[in-house]
Amino acid sequence: MAYLDLKNVSKSFAGTLAVKDFNLEIEKGTLVAFLGPSGCGKTTTLRMIAGFEQLDSGTILLDNSDISSVPPNRRDIGMVFQSYALFPNLTVRENIAFGLEMKKTPKKDAEKRVNQVLDMVRLQETAKRFPHQLSGGQQQRIALARALAVQPRVLLLDEPLSALDAEVRVVLRGEIRRIQSELAITTVYVTHDQEEALSISDKVVVMNKGIIEQVGAPEEIYRAPQTRFVATFIGTANQFHGKVDGRESVDCGIVRLLTEPLKDFINGQSVVVLVRPENIQVQLEPPGEGRWNSIPGVVETITFHGAVTRLGVNAGGQRVVADITVSNTKPVALNQKIWLQFTPDMCQVMVADE
Amino acid sequence: MDPLSTPKNETKKKLRPASWQVALVAIFLFYMLLPIISTYVFSVATRWDRTILPEGYTLEFYAKAIQASYFTITLRNSFILSISTVLVSLLIIVPTVYWVHTRLGRAKPLLDILMILPFGIPTVVLALALIQVYHFPPLARSPVLLIGAVVVYSMPFMYRPVSNALQALDVQTLTEAGQSLGANIFQVLYRIVIPNIVTGLLSGSLLVFSTVFAEYTLTSLIVGARFKTFPLLLVEFTRINGNIAAAFSVISFTIAWLVSMLILWVGSKGQKATTEGIRAH
Ligand SMILES: Nc1ncnc2c1ncn2[C@@H]1O[C@H](COP(=O)(O)OP(=O)(O)O)[C@@H](O)[C@H]1O
Ligand SMILES: [Mg+2]
Repeated sequence: MAYLDLKNVSKSFAGTLAVKDFNLEIEKGTLVAFLGPSGCGKTTTLRMIAGFEQLDSGTILLDNSDISSVPPNRRDIGMVFQSYALFPNLTVRENIAFGLEMKKTPKKDAEKRVNQVLDMVRLQETAKRFPHQLSGGQQQRIALARALAVQPRVLLLDEPLSALDAEVRVVLRGEIRRIQSELAITTVYVTHDQEEALSISDKVVVMNKGIIEQVGAPEEIYRAPQTRFVATFIGTANQFHGKVDGRESVDCGIVRLLTEPLKDFINGQSVVVLVRPENIQVQLEPPGEGRWNSIPGVVETITFHGAVTRLGVNAGGQRVVADITVSNTKPVALNQKIWLQFTPDMCQVMVADE
Repeated sequence: MDPLSTPKNETKKKLRPASWQVALVAIFLFYMLLPIISTYVFSVATRWDRTILPEGYTLEFYAKAIQASYFTITLRNSFILSISTVLVSLLIIVPTVYWVHTRLGRAKPLLDILMILPFGIPTVVLALALIQVYHFPPLARSPVLLIGAVVVYSMPFMYRPVSNALQALDVQTLTEAGQSLGANIFQVLYRIVIPNIVTGLLSGSLLVFSTVFAEYTLTSLIVGARFKTFPLLLVEFTRINGNIAAAFSVISFTIAWLVSMLILWVGSKGQKATTEGIRAH
């Protein structure tokens, strides 16, 4: 049974649909990431859960009761904002105690709780300072502590790390995940950063233009994208356009690609074959016979990325990128003729949208 | 020679203003200060029509001013008028501007324009229009109507500082943060919003106070002798005795001046708070 359940939720602003028929079940104690490009409706969905936006239609159930028309201050849902939103006139301790005060928690208990959450975010020493005397990363930790102090039923985070620099971002996302699993608090985490979403969450909800493209575990989203949008938005994917030609191949013009058995397609259907750069091997000699795909091409660009080197290859007019690691490939030079090789199971076939 | 002294001298040279600039500032100061200085001097002069400087000095006009039958009551009325205007203005402006900043961002340009209008309407026109529209008791020519009129007239002075203070704050997100922690809208206003815009509220209040304290046209046209304020008494005395009128002016000046000092003081404290507030975002 889902703990937080969004049913057919829709929302539009002045005629433009921001969120369209959104259905999602979130299990208790899990961290779910909303991932998608800017403007795809992540914030709007989160704000509807928080109660800051009214739904046009649909319902939101929390622990089996409809909260769609409960005002935000009675939902018991904590929120962390991109801009931290600490109260500038209150000290760190007063900020964290604010929610407890609103709940009329006895002073002694409130004090104890504030110390607990300060320990949790490891910032006990900042208790007497004002928000502007803290770094961005510290402010966001305090904002997290403030949201958690009242023990909300759900925690919402809207791009909490976007205003921080790269190093702090990586450390802090680990902290958020650690605290979230320690407390086993049901959490929705909004981000447009795929690495962040994939590394932090139990489940990723990929969104585009107000609809859900795919819901799944991070590995699932990466390895088995179900739509072309997901395949191209998460990581990089080469796209070969063509028509289904027989039971296990696609005619792409420059090459006839061998695939896994194509059960859900009919002969002649327009499709796109997606191949990830890291699944392509680069050979310097024409490969021998075998059940694999091989495309000849010329190296046009070589970009060093640290762990991998990305080659941009001109394969009969189509640009294909392939990632090579120093350990498994011989050195390659610009304008060198090479063969791109990959097995049929690395080809993901999708219907081409018109 | 000390090599370090050369650049210093150069800076000094650069900073010295041109003579035309000095002249311009001098003319401006002369223009601004002369009437004030002469009023001060006139209020303590025995006779000042045959010589460049007064023939003698006396405090007798201040004694007479303070003894004038209406002195206390007009001073009291002026304080009543100014303070109630400040309160009404706060009660109207703060929630409205807060609401526009959090819920109705699109209405902000409209409000900005509306808040210039009081400068554009001649006070006499405003007064006569109000008298005609609200000609029925109990409003007709009442101090309540006057307060309504001066609230409108002085509104821009309250609106600007409050709006600027809210602008620097990102109130919408702070409000939502407060709500997600269980606070209702009044708790948000009382505990978060107002403490953070208190300098804006104070400078707005003091500007409105000093404007209304010196207001003449609306008061004289709308209530006249029914609710005589200090500026009315002052103008009355210009017809009786110039020296006493000057003494009234000086008293009025001094109150306004004290209020301005208060504004400057609050302002300098507020500037610190604002920079800190902005740094916090
Ligand atoms: N208050 C609003 N008024 C009008 N349009 C809005 C408002 N909030 C969001 N939108 C629109 O709704 C869409 C989704 O926005 P949002 O949920 O903020 O996207 P995301 O958080 O994924 O970047 C966008 O097209 C945005 O312009
Ligand atoms: Mg957003």
